[in-house]
Amino acid sequence: MGTPPPPDVLLDVRDLRTYFRVMDGTVPAVDGVSFQVHRGETLGVVGESGCGKSVTALTIMRLIETPPGEIVGGEVWFNGRDILTLSSDEMLQVRGAEMAMIFQEPMTSLNPVLTIGDQIAEAVVAHKKVGHKAAWDRAIEMLQLVGIPEAQRRVKQHPHELSGGMRQRVMIALALSCDPKLLIADEPTTALDVTIQAQILELIRRVQEETGTALLLITHDLGVVAETVQRVVVMYAGKVVETGTVDEVLQDPKHPYTEGLLASIPSQGLRGTRLNVIRGSIPNPFRMPVGCRFAPRCPYAFDPCRDHEPPLEGPGDGDRRVACWLHSRPPFGIEHRPRYGTSTATALAQRTAGVAS
Amino acid sequence: MAIYPDPTALSGGPATTAAGPTPADVAQADADVEVALESLGQWQLAWRRFRKHRMAMVGLGFFVFMVLVAIFGPIIVPYDPLNIPGSTIPGGMPPSLAHPFGTDNDGRDVFAMVVNGARISVAIGGISMLIAGIVGVGVGAIAGYFGGWVDNVLMRVVDTFFAIPLLFVILVAARFFGEGQVTSLILIFGLLSWPIIARLVRASFLSLRESDFVEAARAVGVKDARITFRHILPNAIGPVIVAMTLIMASNIVLEAFVSYLNFGISPDQTSWGNALANAQSALGLGNWWWAFFPGMAIAITVMAINFVGDGLRDALDPRTRL
Amino acid sequence: MTQYIVRRVIQAIPVLFLISVVSFVLMMQAPGGPAAQFNQNPHISPAQINKWLADWCLVRQPTVMDTVREYLGWLGVWNCTGGSFLSAHGLPNFLPAFLGGGTNGILHGDFGYSIETGQPVLQMILARLPATLILMGTAFVLWATIAILAGVLAAVKRYSFFDQSVTFVSYVFYSLPTFWLGLILIFIFGVTLRWFPVQGIVNVRNTPAPFATSAYWAAFAANPLPYLYDIGAHLVLPVVTLIAVSIAGDSRFVRSAMLDSLHQDYVRTARAKGISERQVIVRHAFRNAMLPILTNLALEIAFLFSGAIVTETVFSWPGMGRLYYDGVNARDYFLLMGILLIGSVLVVVMNLVADIAYAIADPRIRYD
Ligand SMILES: Nc1ncnc2c1ncn2[C@@H]1O[C@H](COP(=O)(O)OP(=O)(O)OP(=O)(O)O)[C@@H](O)[C@H]1O
Ligand SMILES: [Mg+2]
Repeated sequence: MGTPPPPDVLLDVRDLRTYFRVMDGTVPAVDGVSFQVHRGETLGVVGESGCGKSVTALTIMRLIETPPGEIVGGEVWFNGRDILTLSSDEMLQVRGAEMAMIFQEPMTSLNPVLTIGDQIAEAVVAHKKVGHKAAWDRAIEMLQLVGIPEAQRRVKQHPHELSGGMRQRVMIALALSCDPKLLIADEPTTALDVTIQAQILELIRRVQEETGTALLLITHDLGVVAETVQRVVVMYAGKVVETGTVDEVLQDPKHPYTEGLLASIPSQGLRGTRLNVIRGSIPNPFRMPVGCRFAPRCPYAFDPCRDHEPPLEGPGDGDRRVACWLHSRPPFGIEHRPRYGTSTATALAQRTAGVAS
Repeated sequence: MAIYPDPTALSGGPATTAAGPTPADVAQADADVEVALESLGQWQLAWRRFRKHRMAMVGLGFFVFMVLVAIFGPIIVPYDPLNIPGSTIPGGMPPSLAHPFGTDNDGRDVFAMVVNGARISVAIGGISMLIAGIVGVGVGAIAGYFGGWVDNVLMRVVDTFFAIPLLFVILVAARFFGEGQVTSLILIFGLLSWPIIARLVRASFLSLRESDFVEAARAVGVKDARITFRHILPNAIGPVIVAMTLIMASNIVLEAFVSYLNFGISPDQTSWGNALANAQSALGLGNWWWAFFPGMAIAITVMAINFVGDGLRDALDPRTRL
Repeated sequence: MTQYIVRRVIQAIPVLFLISVVSFVLMMQAPGGPAAQFNQNPHISPAQINKWLADWCLVRQPTVMDTVREYLGWLGVWNCTGGSFLSAHGLPNFLPAFLGGGTNGILHGDFGYSIETGQPVLQMILARLPATLILMGTAFVLWATIAILAGVLAAVKRYSFFDQSVTFVSYVFYSLPTFWLGLILIFIFGVTLRWFPVQGIVNVRNTPAPFATSAYWAAFAANPLPYLYDIGAHLVLPVVTLIAVSIAGDSRFVRSAMLDSLHQDYVRTARAKGISERQVIVRHAFRNAMLPILTNLALEIAFLFSGAIVTETVFSWPGMGRLYYDGVNARDYFLLMGILLIGSVLVVVMNLVADIAYAIADPRIRYD
C-alpha cells in the first residue's frame, strides 16, 4: 500500500497497531506507533513499564502470538519491503538472519536442555547454509567475540552452568551469529547486577561498532539512553509522545511526560531523597482516556487534552516531534486555555504561546 | 521495576477550581475505579470469572440438580426400589412409559434405583471429599509449618500412599472393614484420598514461606501460627478446592466399582454401584438398560463435577487475574 | 548424577518399609486373621497347617507382641521357629540364606502360602504375571503414545477443530467409570456386534492347555501366529477399557504441559532465530515439555495397576488383578500381602527409573 522509505532508512514503522484480545476486553498495547531506524544507527525507545515497548519490538519481529495478540494495522518497512505482508515462511528468512533480538530475561531465554553451542549453531545452520562443524566453529567464534573466556569449553555447557551476565553474552552472540542488519535489544540489562549492566552495555556498543549493525535499544533507563543512543522515541500507553535526537529530548523535553521521566532520575548527591515522580499510574488499558492518554496524570492538562488526541507533529523541522496540545494548534473550535501553576509550567506555556497563537 | 507506581501520592491534591476538575481529581476518579475493583474481594472476583465459564455453570447447575435429586428424589419417585413386584422376567423389562429406564431381574424399576441411588453415591462422594480435605490440609499444614523431620516423616507417608495402588487397598478395606455400611465406606474413601491435598498444601507452604508478604508479616511481628492461617493457607485454597472436586468425582466412581464387585454397600440399600452389581449378566441377554442408566448417572454427575472443577481452576488461579 | 541416583534410592527405602508395614497391618488387622483361615481349609493337612503356623508366627488370638513378631517374621527379620533374631545357624536372620540367614519371609523371597490353594504365593503370582504384563505393557505403550500425540498436536494447533475435539472427547471419557465403560464395550462389541471376545486371554477351546502353562508355551512356540492372533483379539476390549480414561486425562495434561512450554521465553528465542516452526516445537518446546510428562507418566503407573484390577475383573483376565480380587473374596492373607507389596514395589521402582530418566533428560539435575 505505502511507498518504501528511502534506502538509508533500514526500518520504517508506520502507524503500527497491535492489540491483545483477552477475557475482559481489548488491550491496545501498541496503538499507532511510528518511527524510523537508519542503517547503522542506534535508536532508543523509552517509557515506563507496560507502555508497549516489548510489544512493539515483538511486532517488528513478527513474534506476537495470535491469539491473543493481533497486528491490527500499520506497516513495518524493513530493508525495502513491508514485512507485515510477508508469509510466515518468508519471515523465517528475515528473522534471525536480517534482524535479531536480545531479550530482557537472560535466565529464561535460553533452552535449559540444549548446550549453548547447539543453540547458536542451530541458527547458523538455518541461515548460513553451512554444515554442523562450521556452525559449531562459528558459535565458538561468536562466544569469543562477546568476551566469554574459554569459549572452547563453554560452548559445550548448558545454560544453568553460566551466570546471568554470561547468559546475556550468549544471547548477544546468538543474535549476532548471522550478521543481522538490525539488532533489537529489549531491556538487555534490566535483570542484571549493576556492575554487569555496564559491561553488557559496553559490549553491545562495541559489537555494534564492529559489526555495523543498527540497534534498537529498548530501556527505561535514561542514563543508558544518554550514553548509548543517537535518537530517542518516548512512548506512553501504546503511543509515541516524543521523538528527537538524544540531546534534543534530554536537554529540552517538550512533552510533560518526558519532563516527568527526566525529573525522576536521581541526580548525583541526592540519592535517598524523594524523587520527583509523575503522579498516578499508567491508564487502565481497557479504559484508555479519550483525549491525550497522559492527560489524567499531566500537571498541565487543559480542556482539549481530555477530549482530543494530540497529533505527533514537529514543533520545527527535522525529526523532532511531540504529541502534545501545548505544542500543537488545537482543532478548530476548541478553546485553547492552558492552566498552569508551577514555574516550569509557566515557562512551558510561554514557550507554547508562540506555537499556539 | 515500575518507575512511578505511587498511587498514595494521589491523596491531598490541590483544590478544585471553577475551570473544571484538576488533574488530581481525574487521577483520583481513576484510582477510585481501581479501588472498587480491588475491594470486590477475592471470592467475588473468582465468582465473576467462574460465571463466565459456560461449561462450569452448566456443570454446577447439573450438580445442584443431582443434590436435589439425592435429597428429595426418594420422596417423589413412586417406586420403592426394594419393593419387588410379583412378575419377574429374567434380565428385566425394556424401557417403557411405566418404567422409563426399564426394570431389572427382580422387576425393580431402574429409574427408581437411579433416583434413590443418588443419595448414597453423592453422600459418599461429598462427605469423603470433606474428610480428605480436612485431613489433607491438616497434614500438609503441619508438614509445611514444622518442616524438618516432621515434614520428612509425613512426606514419606504421603509417598507411600502414592506408591500403593489405591484400588488394591480400597478393595481390601471395603471387604474386610466396610461391612456394607455407608459410614465405613465414607471413612475408608476419605482416609485414603487425602495425600494429594497434603502435597498441594505443603508445596504452597514451601513456596510461600519465603515469599515477600509472609516475610513482611513476620517482620512486623506476626506470629508464625497466625501467618499460617491468615496468610499461607488462604493462598493454597485454590488448588486444594480444585483437587477436592477431583476427589469427589473419583470417589463416586470408586464407590460404584466397589459396590459393583459386591464389596461395597450392602445389597439391601441402593447406590448407583449397587444398581450395576448384577447388571453384567443381563448384558449377555442383550438387556442394556439395566447397566446403561445407572452408569450414565455416574458419568454425567462426574462430568458435571469435573466441569465445576475446571471452572474453579480458572477462577481461583491468581495468574488468570486481569 | 550418581549422587542424585543414590539419594533417590535412599529416599525410596523408608517408603518401601512403610509399604510393607501398611500391607501387613491392613491384612493382619482384618477380622478373622490368617491363623483361623488356615485352620478352616479342609484341603490342606493339619500337619502342614501347623508347620506353616509355626514358621510364620501365626497365633489365633494374637496380642500386640504376637503381631509384631508376625510382621518381623513375614519380613524375614525374625526367626519364628527359633524365636529369635538369629537364624538356625546363629547368624542374623535377615541375611540371605546362603550366608547363613533364615529362609522364611519376604526378604528371602518367600511370601508365604496361599490359604486357598496351599501353593507358595510367589509361584501363584509369577504364574499370573505374563497375562498382566501383556495387558499392562500393551496398554502403557498405546496409552503413552496416543496421549502424547494427541496432547502435543492439540497444544500446537490450539483452538483448532482438532484441539476442540480432543478436549471434548477427553472430557467425556475422563468422566466415565472404567468398569462401566468395559461393560458397555462388552455389550456393543462383544454381545451385539460379536467382533471381539469378552472373556479371558485365550480361547480355551482352541488351546491345548491353559494359558501360561508350559504345554501352552510349547504349542505357542511351535506355531506362534494363531496364538498371537488369539491373544490380540482378546486384548482389544480390555486394553481400550484400561487406557481410554487415562488417555483422556493425560492428553489434557500433555496439552497443558506443552502449552506451558510453548509460552516459555526460550521458545520465543528459538522463534526469533528464524528456525522452522517444526524445529521450534520438536527441539525446544517438546523436549522441555517431556520432563513433566515423564514424571506424570511415572506417577500414573500406580493407576495402571489399579486399572488392571478393574479390567481384569470385568473381562476375567487371568492376571494379578484378577488373582487379587479372588484373594480378597477368599481372604487369602499371604497372597494379598504379596501382591500388594510386589505391586507397590514395582511402582516405586518404576518411579525411580523415571526419576533417573528425568535426570538424564534434564541437565540441570546433575548438579542439584
Ligand atoms: N500476551 C499478552 N496478552 C495480553 N496483554 C498483553 C500481552 N503482552 C503484553 N500485553 C499488554 O501490553 C501492554 C504493553 O506491554 P509491554 O510488555 O510491551 O510493556 P513494556 O513497555 O515492554 O514494559 P516493561 O518495561 O515492563 O517490559 C501491557 O499493558 C501488557 O499488559
Ligand atoms: Mg518489556
